Amino acid sequence: MVEAKGIYHRYDKKGCDVLHNINFVINRGEFVFIVGPSGAGKSTLFKMIIREIVPTKGILRVFGHDLAAMRRGRIPYLRRNIGMVFQDFRLLEEHTTFDNIAFALRVIGATGREIRRRVPYVLELVGLTDKATARVCDLSGGEQQRIGLARAIVNRPAMIIADEPTGNLDPDNSYEIMNILRTINMRGTTVLVATHNREIVDRLKKRVIHLDRGRLTVDEAKGVYSSAL
Amino acid sequence: MPFNSFLYACGEALRNLYRNKWMTIASVGVVVVTLLMLGGFMMINFNLNHITEDIKKQVEIVLYIDEEAAAKKHDELNGKLMAHSSLAEVRFVPRSEAMERLKEQLGDIVDGYEGAEDNPLRDSYELRTHRPEAVGKVAKELKNYPAVAEVHYGESTVEKLFTATRAIQVVGLILMFGLAVTAIFLIAHTIRLTVFVRRREIMIMKYVGATNWFIRWPFVLEGMLIGALGAALPLAALYFIYQASLEWVASNNLMFLTLLPLPFVMTELVKYLVPLGTGLGILGSAFSMDRFLRV
Repeated sequence: MVEAKGIYHRYDKKGCDVLHNINFVINRGEFVFIVGPSGAGKSTLFKMIIREIVPTKGILRVFGHDLAAMRRGRIPYLRRNIGMVFQDFRLLEEHTTFDNIAFALRVIGATGREIRRRVPYVLELVGLTDKATARVCDLSGGEQQRIGLARAIVNRPAMIIADEPTGNLDPDNSYEIMNILRTINMRGTTVLVATHNREIVDRLKKRVIHLDRGRLTVDEAKGVYSSAL
Repeated sequence: MPFNSFLYACGEALRNLYRNKWMTIASVGVVVVTLLMLGGFMMINFNLNHITEDIKKQVEIVLYIDEEAAAKKHDELNGKLMAHSSLAEVRFVPRSEAMERLKEQLGDIVDGYEGAEDNPLRDSYELRTHRPEAVGKVAKELKNYPAVAEVHYGESTVEKLFTATRAIQVVGLILMFGLAVTAIFLIAHTIRLTVFVRRREIMIMKYVGATNWFIRWPFVLEGMLIGALGAALPLAALYFIYQASLEWVASNNLMFLTLLPLPFVMTELVKYLVPLGTGLGILGSAFSMDRFLRV
């Protein structure tokens, strides 16, 4: 599903490599934690997977497509297969919960009937049925992140990538978000999570890829955060 | 574009105009002010051109006939004038008619000169050219025609008139161009601000897989509506201003000011200002948002 073959990246020609000779393969249905300190290259890797940037060197294949060779016009269609979750939620704060989720369906041209069918379904999945008409700015951080998750899955993407999804949340909300991600993964969606949350990584015992200053140092199935250090 | 997406774009455009009402008012205000200035100037320029064209049409050549030349030569002159391709109007004025006119102008002073024997005036031709600017050249050519005593066309006055009208046209074009450039700059800048306010929304759309055109459409429609509204208001204002000007000219007996009729002026203004307003709105939106689409 995602295959990295010797990828390098540097933002500035004269700068240092942000990613250095990264190799891995992530298969369909996997749950993978990408861990590492700030500046390790986790977000850069995610930006590459959604084709916001391309590797300076090496090949990155997502769903079998070489992203460096992908035409700009195909990028939206790639992104429709990848649900994104952000640390800062990135929601339309003045809009309602329902509108924020429906937004992701509208931009791909979904009909009103589809929207009315899909949105309540994902709202139930993330436990926000009773908040459908609430404005985002009136909700807690945990609830906002659940909206972010609902928006990411509403198009039934093949893969979810979550960049520090629990970074702004308390432990209880963090576990809740991780549980939802696990549920989504159990239904067959590939999940990639970049995180600093040691406790969660250790408790879930999933595959762990550790990045350190742009280099892949550990890639362990059923790993823990501590072993990655 | 699928019908669902088109409906969505229209709905979004209207919703966004309402949601960002202060920005909408500011954008429309900028378009209104610039197009009002441009339209007002165009209105003045149309009329200045019309008045100068009117004056130009009155420019004529007077050709005096050499009475001592043979009658055959007179016929030859008449034939050549009639066949001249640059002349739009050839009118023979006998000396008796010239005296009548003089009498109308001067009254009793010319008493006693009416008889054919005493009339000191000469037979002449009054000529108008197709292009008023060509009078100098044509007059020079006519001097060499048979049986021609003198050719007059008010040399210095005509040259001054043409220089003045040319200057008015050039200054008018420069001013209109300047105003149009200012309008483009102001509108693009204002729309860029509205796009900037919504950069977060655009970024989210990109992340959830919206195509660039899907994102652009509501903004383009919004720009078009801002432009159309921004053109409609100055047009309404200019309509009333022009109507008032026409009434003022008529009530003050300023008949020498032959202003263009209201329907003509409004048709011309609509022809220029509506496409300019909507076009500027569309271009302003489309170009202003490109920077935010690179996600």
